[in-house]
Amino acid sequence: MKALVFSRKPAKFAAAMLAGRLSPGAGAKVGPLSLRDVDPPDLPGAGWVRVRPRLSGICGSDLATIDGTSSRWFEPIVSFPFTPGHEVVGELDDGRRVVVVPVLSCVPRGIDPVCDACADGRINHCQRIGFGQLEPGLQCGFCESTGGGWSTLMVAHESQLVPVPEAVTDEAAVLIEPLACAVHAASLVTEQRVAVIGAGTLGLLTIAALRSAHPDLDITATAKHPHQRTLAAELGADRVVGPGELERAVRTATGSMRYDNGQLGGGLPGVVDCVGSAESIAQALRIAAPGGTIHAVGMPGVTTVDLTPLWQREVALQGAYAYQRADFDTAVALVERLDVGRLVSATYPLRQYEEAVAHAAHAGARGAVKIAFDLRSEKERDSI
Amino acid sequence: MSVHRSGLRWARKAAQLPFPFSAPTTPGGVEPLPPTKKLGADYDTDWARRFPARLARLALLEGVMRPTVAALGAPERDGIDRLTGLTDGPVIFAGNHHSHLDTPVVLTSIPEPWRHKVFVGAAADYFFRNRATSAASALVIGAIPIERSTVTRRSADQAATLIDRGWSMLIFPEGGRSPDGWGQPFRGGAAYLANRCGVPVVPLHIQGTDKILRKGKKLPHPANVRVTYGTPLRPEAGESTSRFAERIERAVAELADEATTDWWQARQRAAAGTTPSLSGPDAPAWRRAWALGDRSRKRRRQARPWPKL
Amino acid sequence: MPRPGFVLEVDKSTPPILFHHGESFRLEKLPAGRSRVLYPGEPLEPLDDVDAAIRHALANPLGDSEPLHALLRPGMKLTIAFDDISLPLPPMRRPDVRQRVIEAVLDVAAAAGVDDVHIIAALALHRRMTEAELRHAVGDRVYDAFAPHGLLYNHDAEDLDNLEFLGTTRHGEEVEINKRAATSDLIVYVNINLVSMDGGWKSTATGLSSYRSLRHHHNVKTMQHSRSFMDRHKSELHSSNWRMGEVLKNAGVKVFQIETTLNNDTFGTSGPMTVLQKREWEWTAKDRATFIAMKAGLDRMPIKARRRIFNGWLAPYGVTSVQAGEVEAVHEVTTENVFKQQLVPIEGQTDILTMGLPYICPYNVNSVMNPILVMCLGLGYFFNMYRGQPLVREGGVVILSHPTPWEFNPVHHPSYIDFFEQCLADTTDPLELEARYEKQFAEDEWYRHLYRTSYAYHGVHPFYMWYWGTHGMQHVGKVIIVGGEPRSVRRLGFTPASTLQDALEMASDVVGRDATITHLHNPPLVMADVT
Repeated sequence: MKALVFSRKPAKFAAAMLAGRLSPGAGAKVGPLSLRDVDPPDLPGAGWVRVRPRLSGICGSDLATIDGTSSRWFEPIVSFPFTPGHEVVGELDDGRRVVVVPVLSCVPRGIDPVCDACADGRINHCQRIGFGQLEPGLQCGFCESTGGGWSTLMVAHESQLVPVPEAVTDEAAVLIEPLACAVHAASLVTEQRVAVIGAGTLGLLTIAALRSAHPDLDITATAKHPHQRTLAAELGADRVVGPGELERAVRTATGSMRYDNGQLGGGLPGVVDCVGSAESIAQALRIAAPGGTIHAVGMPGVTTVDLTPLWQREVALQGAYAYQRADFDTAVALVERLDVGRLVSATYPLRQYEEAVAHAAHAGARGAVKIAFDLRSEKERDSI
Repeated sequence: MSVHRSGLRWARKAAQLPFPFSAPTTPGGVEPLPPTKKLGADYDTDWARRFPARLARLALLEGVMRPTVAALGAPERDGIDRLTGLTDGPVIFAGNHHSHLDTPVVLTSIPEPWRHKVFVGAAADYFFRNRATSAASALVIGAIPIERSTVTRRSADQAATLIDRGWSMLIFPEGGRSPDGWGQPFRGGAAYLANRCGVPVVPLHIQGTDKILRKGKKLPHPANVRVTYGTPLRPEAGESTSRFAERIERAVAELADEATTDWWQARQRAAAGTTPSLSGPDAPAWRRAWALGDRSRKRRRQARPWPKL
Repeated sequence: MPRPGFVLEVDKSTPPILFHHGESFRLEKLPAGRSRVLYPGEPLEPLDDVDAAIRHALANPLGDSEPLHALLRPGMKLTIAFDDISLPLPPMRRPDVRQRVIEAVLDVAAAAGVDDVHIIAALALHRRMTEAELRHAVGDRVYDAFAPHGLLYNHDAEDLDNLEFLGTTRHGEEVEINKRAATSDLIVYVNINLVSMDGGWKSTATGLSSYRSLRHHHNVKTMQHSRSFMDRHKSELHSSNWRMGEVLKNAGVKVFQIETTLNNDTFGTSGPMTVLQKREWEWTAKDRATFIAMKAGLDRMPIKARRRIFNGWLAPYGVTSVQAGEVEAVHEVTTENVFKQQLVPIEGQTDILTMGLPYICPYNVNSVMNPILVMCLGLGYFFNMYRGQPLVREGGVVILSHPTPWEFNPVHHPSYIDFFEQCLADTTDPLELEARYEKQFAEDEWYRHLYRTSYAYHGVHPFYMWYWGTHGMQHVGKVIIVGGEPRSVRRLGFTPASTLQDALEMASDVVGRDATITHLHNPPLVMADVT
């Protein structure tokens, strides 16, 4: 079967790092990602099923992996060679459409008794993601044993399956996984006023999730491109400003004082960073009020940031990783309510993966939001 | 004035050389020939009004005098705006006199259009005592000889002719430099010429040149200088020369008050008739020196620059 | 004898017409047969002896007022207030007429034995004046005599301890002005009446007042009913100020008003700028050469250098009249004198009104003309330079020419940036802006801080700019800015065009192919008397 495979090839990895620096997404051309004919993954044990991906999204963390910019933190919790793709809507052998909860926690790993976190339902906090019957891997799409969404076949444990209602299109369904992330992040927000930095897929979905979870919340969103502005406002932002205008907007909205160099005296109690770059975290630190909280929703990686304001203003920096099972139920309900399918701007067949990755890396500038692989028409899909 | 002083010294040295390098002495009992070149009040300065001399004066003014004055006094100019009502015609600048530096300070500070068409009334017995000093005075400061004590017909005619030809005049009506820092009574020359030629008198006050080089000193010492121009005065109908001269003196006194305190206080005192006189208290020398005190006014002049954006 | 202004019918042999274009110029060929150009009159002869005219005015007041010297006595409290940096435009050469008047007033005061004198820059919610600007306005003598003792200062409309509430008008408008002025035995107001909007009760009731008072006439409703605000008798803005003047009078505030008018000698009779106030067909070879050289030089210069050159220009205005005495009587005469210079009769309205916007408006002296000020100058000031009816018909098109860069002076206009980035991104409707944002901006602590301690316009000021244009926005069907940066022009809610021809094409969608065009040849200032 056809699959995009990411293998451990140091030379290519170095080339991808270099290319990724020059132009985001260029790592796909020279790096360790390649389209190959591989054997379908074996079912690891009882309770596992085969999933034929229909649509599989390209996520920011995938791009980081391709461009070689992701952290070495992941080294022990991924296993090579792996097939990326964790935003998956697929069908089972019996034809049911499902979305996969990609987190590979104790239950899929066959660990019994499960760890404290899993026992508590906090699968995103699972303490055994490198152990058990599967190769190490925090999610499908980073694990050798399960395959991933960027192929015509992968395997998943029953516990990972979320049925997709009839009325929900594949395009909408492929966004359930990222939306679940956003729902989870929104559940961590307790402040009355927040700023959301970033208006990519994650940023926009976070705005939607925040609006749904907290109807009275005051949301200031940043958006660089016109289509992002429109979507952010539609999905529930109270005001949308350009990235360079955020400090001033926050100052006006909060009526706080401002020093000559632009530093604010006050700020917002909550900031949701859906970008995860050094700049976005620095910006979040600049606009968070003393005693405020920064929610790191976008994956940060290795960044250099001046943490003095964190210390001087007692700002909390809180991560928001993935989701729990219940977040998917909320996400499914939300997807039924909101027309999020329009966020899928373009789909590509596997063989055009280089273009697909480049498009995803420049989605905002090219007027797009989410780019996905369309596997519904891959030739050998039904022959396996 | 250093140019002038060294000129004098050179002239003196030249006079000490033996004949034929110096002029011969006249034997006793011989009737000497009448002098062909006139000196003192009779010195003819017409050549100094011609183009080559004006060009040389312009070069000296901008190339020597201005840098020297800037180095010694960096003068501040006040009240130029009061001259806006004047047409471009000739005027008489009349000011107080402390120092040889006064002339260069004023000459470099007089605004256009008068700056390069101005002559100075200079003491005939001092500046025009021999040919070298006469020529230097006429060339460098555009001086014409004026008698200190009484205005004779000849020097008055010379000044009036020049004024009528469109030249402005700078005159120090005190008749000489102040001996002790206080002023001396104004004489009538400026008032007389203004009346005769029908031109306005611009009173002006010079402050600080006495600190740089007052009468009797040889080496200049840098200090702050301020030149304050007053509102132009015109003789009123039926006003006598002496009355007008008094009015000029009062105007300069008010400017002096303004330069040492501020304009509002000066106006208040002028209105109340309590403007301090230029000549200081009528008292022994030490009290006059004491009362002189430190009369320079401190002020912030620097405009605050805009923040760099 | 200066020639009066007139209306030129453009024909085939009419040369291209000069359009001011920010810190540059454009020469535009207007379509023959359907275009007119409204030319200002030549500068009126200035007074020969301004100081004598001032002294005469002080001694022979108009209306129900005693001469100034009779109003002054020892021991009294005297406050002299003067117009701020927003007048005149561009700033005038030294000596400023305010200096001359203030010195004359102080001379009279000194003679009368008045000791307690304060001098206040009546800047309402404008930015504070710097030392250099104050020196320019009042002169070094007055500055050095008063400022070091804290007796010459900028009015502070946010200093609650130094404001005095004097009552409300019959329309419920609150009147609150500077406490020192309100509690003085006499206010002498020294004004420059550059345009007919200035002066009268607007001097004291606006210049020395606070937000609490200003909001009653600086609002959308008032400005929509000021048609135009240059015509006092048809201006609700002025009616409100006159009502406030009534309150001032009843509260015992005594004002001795001194109003001065200037001719329109903006660019002088010598120097490179002269050409800008000549009629195009009278440009000599020398004029054309200087114009070409000036334009070529400017276009190659970085914008900062260009601004420095233009901001350094001081106009050689001549003073044409000085009136003093009772406010209303003085203002009647003053307005007549302003009209004598500026008013030019013109028959009938036009479909398309074109204007070239210069580098300066009342609120960017020594600063940057930001997009909001472009709107205010075009649809506020220039549009309202009419008496009778607007020069452009209702539903017509206004074409402005200005580069309109997305650029702000962060020191002078901090609240403008936020207004532009946030409020205008939301809506351009003045009523909605007023309802949604005005209060928040007016009461913002940081803007207040900058207004009081730095050199910033008050937080609410950009709203006033927008209100100034409401009558224009309401009246016209479309606004096009030629040569404007598209991003900022769109943010203003207008349409960008790269050339005048494009703009005329766009306009034809609204007013048809054979629409009539009128160009307001301004500056020098000209006001249309439309019949």
